[in-house]
Amino acid sequence: MILSRFRVDRRRARQARWAEQAPPGPVRDYLASAPPGPRTDVSDLPLLALDLETTGLDPRADHILSVGFVPVDGLQINLAGAEQLICRADVEVGQSATIHGITDDALAGGIALRDLLERVAAALTGRVLLAHHAVIETGFLSAACERELGVPLPITAVDTMELQSRVLRSHAGEDLPPGALRLGTARANLGLPRYAAHEALTDALACAELYLVQVDRLSGGRPMTLKALQR
Amino acid sequence: MADAEIPEVTDFLAEQAPFAAVPRSDLERLARRMTVRYARRGTLLMSVGRGNDEVFVVRSGAVQITDDSGTLVDRGGEGTAFGTTALGGQPSRFEVEAIEDTLLLVLPSAAFHELAAAHPVVGDFFSQQRATRLRHALQSMPHAQRRTAVLQTRLRDLVRREPITTTGDATVREAAQLMAREQVSSLLVVDGDRLTGIVTDRDLRTRVLAAGLDSSTPVSAMMTADPVTAGPDDIAMELILEMTSRNIHHMPVVGGAGGHAPLGMLTSTDLMRLERANPIHLVGDIAKADDLEALVALSQRLPRIIDQLVHEDATADGIGRIVTAVGDAVEQRLIHLAERELGPSPTAYAWVVLGSQARLEQGPGSDQDNALVISDDATPADAPWFEALARFVVDGLVACGYPRCPGDVMATNPQWRRPLREWKRTFAQWIDEPVPDAILRSAIFFDLRAVHGDEGLVEELQAQIRRSAPTGTRFLAHLARNAAANEPPLGFFRGFVLEREGAHKDTLDLKRGGFHAVVEVARVHALSRGLPQVSTSSRMAAAVGAGGLSEETAADLHDAFEFIRYVRLLHQAKQIRAAMPPDNFVAPSELSSFEKRHLRDAFHVVRSAQQTLLHSHPLGHVT
Repeated sequence: MILSRFRVDRRRARQARWAEQAPPGPVRDYLASAPPGPRTDVSDLPLLALDLETTGLDPRADHILSVGFVPVDGLQINLAGAEQLICRADVEVGQSATIHGITDDALAGGIALRDLLERVAAALTGRVLLAHHAVIETGFLSAACERELGVPLPITAVDTMELQSRVLRSHAGEDLPPGALRLGTARANLGLPRYAAHEALTDALACAELYLVQVDRLSGGRPMTLKALQR
Repeated sequence: MADAEIPEVTDFLAEQAPFAAVPRSDLERLARRMTVRYARRGTLLMSVGRGNDEVFVVRSGAVQITDDSGTLVDRGGEGTAFGTTALGGQPSRFEVEAIEDTLLLVLPSAAFHELAAAHPVVGDFFSQQRATRLRHALQSMPHAQRRTAVLQTRLRDLVRREPITTTGDATVREAAQLMAREQVSSLLVVDGDRLTGIVTDRDLRTRVLAAGLDSSTPVSAMMTADPVTAGPDDIAMELILEMTSRNIHHMPVVGGAGGHAPLGMLTSTDLMRLERANPIHLVGDIAKADDLEALVALSQRLPRIIDQLVHEDATADGIGRIVTAVGDAVEQRLIHLAERELGPSPTAYAWVVLGSQARLEQGPGSDQDNALVISDDATPADAPWFEALARFVVDGLVACGYPRCPGDVMATNPQWRRPLREWKRTFAQWIDEPVPDAILRSAIFFDLRAVHGDEGLVEELQAQIRRSAPTGTRFLAHLARNAAANEPPLGFFRGFVLEREGAHKDTLDLKRGGFHAVVEVARVHALSRGLPQVSTSSRMAAAVGAGGLSEETAADLHDAFEFIRYVRLLHQAKQIRAAMPPDNFVAPSELSSFEKRHLRDAFHVVRSAQQTLLHSHPLGHVT
């Protein structure tokens, strides 16, 4: 208990230092704010379901192409806050265009990476990030922030892939079939509709809906904290 | 940067029935006002008696909708929409349960109302289920309640006067004197409260006078003992068959505890009067009436005709037309009598009826509302003639059972007895410089119809209204607000009672937030599109043609209008029979559960039409 409090304090101190180093703006505001506490109940928990489309899987070598996000307030997805941003990057999309549906032309019409990061930081302030296989999102956002603004972006996240493995294990033994944790498969397993498009916003919404079902399955309607989600 | 489209939601909505008709750009905006929620199987999404502020669309999964009696109403999967019935805190009649794990798209009521106002097809879709039930109710009524054509009338409803009775030991002379005094052709002879015989005119002639009996002979010696009788629940048709086959002209109706107490006497004349109740005869008789006295006597036949029609297979709309036809005939005859007395009119004029009579929707006990449009050629010297005309007709109408208008909208009021040019100025003022109070009082003038005189004068006035009203944005917005101000008494069905004070405490007002609200809604539709129609049903039909109302909404409103007015007529027929003045206030105990259920549906239809109207004529930037 004492140890964990010590860690939290140290992390806060570090984040406060970064906040001072960051240029004024949404990223600095984000660093200066605190995410929802671990004891927050899921029924009150503000999250931001977010999906990044990237040129690859390595945050240091690959680039962000687009981001889609939608706020989740407690157990309700708020479509009014849905956004999709295309990043104007000096890279050739090449083959990945067939996957993401993002062409070079679309990228040319996008916004600068720094603007994109600031928009994300603003939307994420006071919220927990929600993503499917969240290390990609947290890793790319933090690495890009470090490159663009000189500070990393510490993010509190809930991972629907993790949650899915808990949901499946709770009634399907230990062995999961290959691919069982993929977003589309996870949704199909829980009776959610199939989404065709492979766009950042669609995936963010798909992830948010999946989360609503997972929380219901894991909590069984009883109170459940953020900490229990991150276990 | 523009708001992001949410393709998965927009695409989904575009495939669902009510939303498919909405342009994609509007759907995109709509999607952004929605939230997404999840409900596991077994979750109650709506409960009976609770209101809500949201409309739900099933994104995946399935729901089951049951009504307050537990009857399954609907069961639906993807695309099923519900929740509009309980918007604005109205108690839900339904219980909605997720019968599978269900993902829901949720739309706040404000967004829904805006959508329904912009795209009537959406509002229609959601009121269709309710309307379907209401229509079903109307269709089933001819069998359930309107079954009785004239000859199906129960005898208890034909007996119109207390039985005239005597006893067996009375003399023939006493019996004859009683018959003369009461102006009846027969007597019921009783022993205590038991019927023992009857005596008729013909008996006095054949059994007493022709047989040379003394006038002191006791009735018991010459009466028809133990006569054939009928029961109060027998129908007129049976009575006719019985009387025809036995060749008798008098039939005592008996009933009561022992089944022998005399309730009254029915004669062949009573049956003939059934035919005479035909309003066409009445209108013909009125047109021939030679003086006020005759008109007054004829007018007294109207309540009976209404009573009769209510029990025949007549619609409220049909009865409204008949009552109006009689009202018109009385008014026209009075004007004719006045002209005969006053001499020919000094200049052209039109006698105008307003409000319900103008709309062909006059009801029993309706006040009179009338006005005079006089030719601009009139001189001040002509004024006394028109004043005398107005007094003659208005007083005559009062004598014939049409009470004075409490708001003094009558031709006797100099304000409403004016040359055409002044009428034009008044209407222009109402439309172009609307004052909320004045609009409230002037609404009735926008339902006008000439019943006598130079119709061209009225047509000129109506043409001006048709031209200017559609552009009178503020006028229309105020009119729409008035139309929506009288909320249907939906709270009534939660056990609350609407009229809390005064003579009509603890009753339901069928007029104010009921059928009259439909009148007001139809009026706004007609005026805002410059339509010439005056009756509510024709206004709604024309509004459909002009694109202001969808066919479904118009059909729903028509049904609601008919049903509420029909319930009112049932109520008024009861009052007429009890010799009470007819009104619009129904006690809850008077209503059958059938009527209560469908009144509620009808009121919901009215409320939704009011709200849609309000949204399409916003006042926000107006006042």
